[in-house]
Amino acid sequence: MKSTIRIQPEDFDISEQYQLLRDLTKGIGAVVTFTGLVREFEPSGDQPSAIDSLSIQHYSGMTEERLSQIVDRAAARWNLLGVTIIHRIGELLPSEQIVFVGVASQHRNDGFMAAQFIMDYLKTQATFWKQISQNGRSCWVDSKVSDAQALKRWNLPEDKDL
Amino acid sequence: MVKLLFFGRLSDYANGVPTQIQASTAAEIRQQLVTEHPLLATELSEPQVLVAVNKQIVDWQQALQDGDEVAFLPPVTGG
Repeated sequence: MKSTIRIQPEDFDISEQYQLLRDLTKGIGAVVTFTGLVREFEPSGDQPSAIDSLSIQHYSGMTEERLSQIVDRAAARWNLLGVTIIHRIGELLPSEQIVFVGVASQHRNDGFMAAQFIMDYLKTQATFWKQISQNGRSCWVDSKVSDAQALKRWNLPEDKDL
Repeated sequence: MVKLLFFGRLSDYANGVPTQIQASTAAEIRQQLVTEHPLLATELSEPQVLVAVNKQIVDWQQALQDGDEVAFLPPVTGG
């Protein structure tokens, strides 16, 4: 199983990432990809309101370790041939790409499950923090209860989780 | 001396906080910040804030060694 983990300010090309996964090894029968984008509108008070930008901070070194642990956990649980995670940092504009998760496997179920698992873990365990600029003000994004709940469906011991 | 790092909303309160400090536990660091940086100390008292030493999540009472990197982490919001 080959994994690639990248944290970078630069954008990424999902067709290129897909091709890299596809060419990784013989025997690949499925490639599942997920791309997360900056939403153009976020709630502000009761009303959705356009955002100016999103800024992403991370803890260099720890983030890479965390993502690598997440990939190891996924690989221990499903039959995977390749995993790519790319997460952008710095200042992003509405509708820009934030995150890419790609999973290559022999069969589709392993890919679908692993991609969801990786995103659920990334959301709650990887050391990234988002700040939204909206109506000329910036504020740190609060963590979501729904993200913590999404993690629970995988039924793993939550030792030293964030 | 240990090195201090503050992330997310905590970084907004960390202006003027020394980057290195003498302390035996993370809990003691928080206590030392109460007088001169009360807002930061209050934020650090939130139960969701975790502490990492050398990039591993640890207990607030874990003994610190000279040269350790102590990071204070609010709930993460990536993805």
